[in-house]
Amino acid sequence: MSRTRALMTALRARLGAAEPLAPPPPLPRVEAPPARVYTPRREASRFAAEAARHTTALVGIGHVGTRYATDVVLQFQAELAVAHAAVAAELPDDWAEAQGMVPVRSRVADHREFLLRPDLGRRLDDASLARLRQRAPRGADVQIIVADGLSAVACQGAGKALAEALRAACQARGLTVGALVGAKFARVWLEDEIGQELDARVAAILLGERPGLGTGDGLSAYLVYAPRIGKTDGDRNMMSNIHARGTPPAQAAARLAALAQAMIAQGTSGVTLDLAQVDGGAELGVGYRAPQVRQRLVEHGGGGGAGGAGGAGGGGRRR
Amino acid sequence: MELSATIRGVAYRFDSVKDVLARANPPKSGDDLAGVSARDAVERVAARAVLADLTLAELREHPVVPYEADELTRVVEDELDAAAFKAVAHLTVGQFREWLLDGATTGATMRAVAAGLTPEMAAAACKLMSNLDLMTVGAKAEVVVRANGTLGLPGRLSSRVQPNHPTDDVEGILASTREGLAYGCGDAVIGVNPATDSAESTAAILRALDDLLRRNEVPTQHCVLSHVTVQLRALQLGCPMDLMFQSLAGTEAANRAFGIDVALLDEAWATMKAKTSNRGPNVMYFETGQGSALSSQAHHGADQVTLEARCYGLARRYRPFLVNTVVGFIGPEYLEDGAQISRAALEDHFMGKLLGLPMGCDACFTYHASMGQDELESLKVLLGAAGCCYLMSLPVGDDIMLNYQSTSFHDIPTVRRLLGKRPTPEFDAWLAARGIADGATPGPRFGDVEVLR
Repeated sequence: MSRTRALMTALRARLGAAEPLAPPPPLPRVEAPPARVYTPRREASRFAAEAARHTTALVGIGHVGTRYATDVVLQFQAELAVAHAAVAAELPDDWAEAQGMVPVRSRVADHREFLLRPDLGRRLDDASLARLRQRAPRGADVQIIVADGLSAVACQGAGKALAEALRAACQARGLTVGALVGAKFARVWLEDEIGQELDARVAAILLGERPGLGTGDGLSAYLVYAPRIGKTDGDRNMMSNIHARGTPPAQAAARLAALAQAMIAQGTSGVTLDLAQVDGGAELGVGYRAPQVRQRLVEHGGGGGAGGAGGAGGGGRRR
Repeated sequence: MELSATIRGVAYRFDSVKDVLARANPPKSGDDLAGVSARDAVERVAARAVLADLTLAELREHPVVPYEADELTRVVEDELDAAAFKAVAHLTVGQFREWLLDGATTGATMRAVAAGLTPEMAAAACKLMSNLDLMTVGAKAEVVVRANGTLGLPGRLSSRVQPNHPTDDVEGILASTREGLAYGCGDAVIGVNPATDSAESTAAILRALDDLLRRNEVPTQHCVLSHVTVQLRALQLGCPMDLMFQSLAGTEAANRAFGIDVALLDEAWATMKAKTSNRGPNVMYFETGQGSALSSQAHHGADQVTLEARCYGLARRYRPFLVNTVVGFIGPEYLEDGAQISRAALEDHFMGKLLGLPMGCDACFTYHASMGQDELESLKVLLGAAGCCYLMSLPVGDDIMLNYQSTSFHDIPTVRRLLGKRPTPEFDAWLAARGIADGATPGPRFGDVEVLR
């Protein structure tokens, strides 16, 4: 017997544990557990149905132990995936040109730098500045810019439609509108340099907003009077949650045109703009978010049938 | 005072104590954005070597924003407890770290010196610590406060129910609140971030919450997180208010961007002490988060960890019931990924506790940060193990107004069971009486909103 083994044996004997381990107790016999679906569709819960009339928060979803039912997990993961996919998407370099817009980009080199360096996303690169001077007419009342912001998906979705609706709504109010500009890797404040360069009275940037759970297609609009580099957030008026389930683009365009006209009439924007003097002004307060209906994103099988959380309807959504 | 160190024959020299503090920080995208971080990993360690040899007395003499230029620095300096400071002034930062980790140093001894520590000292110790160091000391540091419930006792983990709604629909807010309570959440506070920053809507939400809590005899407190001036006006409307809230930043200039200063906070505290609807004595609630000073260009060239500690230096003046760091909310330009967010959460919890505050944490990410759901769930367990006083809780962790991902109603009972933690004693008794909990395990009415009227 080796010296080590002898030591171990002596130690076990001293501890009264010389005997080998008792055999483990027999394992329980598992009958086939019942196939259950924990807390099926939320409409089965009276509380969930009542709550869904007032909130899109996912309440009344039940629990398995202290955790989620499988259906809830899948719905949640789908919503998370939609948000992350929207953030990760990049605006194709030729997108703006193909839409008939004047293409520009910020000083940002790539997508990661775009997320980490907001300062670079607020300024035009040299080539874009030259292109703007060459191709975009100066001196319009309203200069519209369509941009990716934090969701290229939203920009490519309703960006152009919103821009054209806003252009028409401005023209209907007798305002002149410059050539549409399409910007890549753009932050909100990029409208200051573009508006300044084109000598516009109001700059309006329409850009993809930071995605929420299950929503990657929302646009925000930020308007500033007398755009100049150095304007701050307090100088701007904004409207968020522009998409089919929030404020539809046509309705948003009408409100934004009213806002632009009020800025020109009052000669200011931001905190000093008197919203009471704007048509429908009460709804244009900073940070207003219309509620949005929650869509059920996951359906098993390829049918894409109706039904879903809060009775929203609509099948599996594809992009 | 020597501000240089040599590693493998290369000498590293630093311009100032502020520079040493910044370069000693673990990597943070916000320090890169501010242009104050170390050039590489070796310079980072050189800065830590310099920092380890500075005494706490030297740190007191070199705040990152000068006394003359900043009222936060003046608040800290003028109120520092002389006896407590004298006890530790001679220690170097390296020795201070060892004293904190020493098994003989208890929560009580740490509380005894807290009033003699400046925020820069807490930040300096933080930079010499690993994540497990931060958790070890954080778990020792006990800070107990009381409103209607008693928060921060050993073996306890509380939660805020955050029933936000994009249009402040009161029925929607109450639905989320009832669900949260049925899962055993909400013992720290029922706290609503309002969509509309008006006194009328603040008062309307508080009245509705007060009705619900009184009708069901829930031993907790309520709060609507509008601007402090709005809450003062709401109090004039005659509404109940258990806690008054305000966001804080780490410099006078950054707080001006928030529309506050020390005089206003003093007024708010005095008003609340007279008018609060809670049993007291603690009546204030503050939120902070690394990066807020830089986002208003008010960082004075200091790093975001030290600036975060300075928020706590201001907060402790008001004996708050709750302080939490909203750690991943500000975005990837300040904390890029899961590693940075997790590190910041443990740093903030450690620094706040060391300075004597009942620290909670909103463990969260925005969807453009590089963090996954599994990493976020792990962070909640780390925070619970580190003795964090409370976490947030929302339906599936999804804030439908602020659009970010936090802790869920299901996560709180899960983390409590994993770590053997319980809610506040008052709330624990209420959960048992309603059948929501059965001791440490879920009771027969767990998750059943019908238990609430």
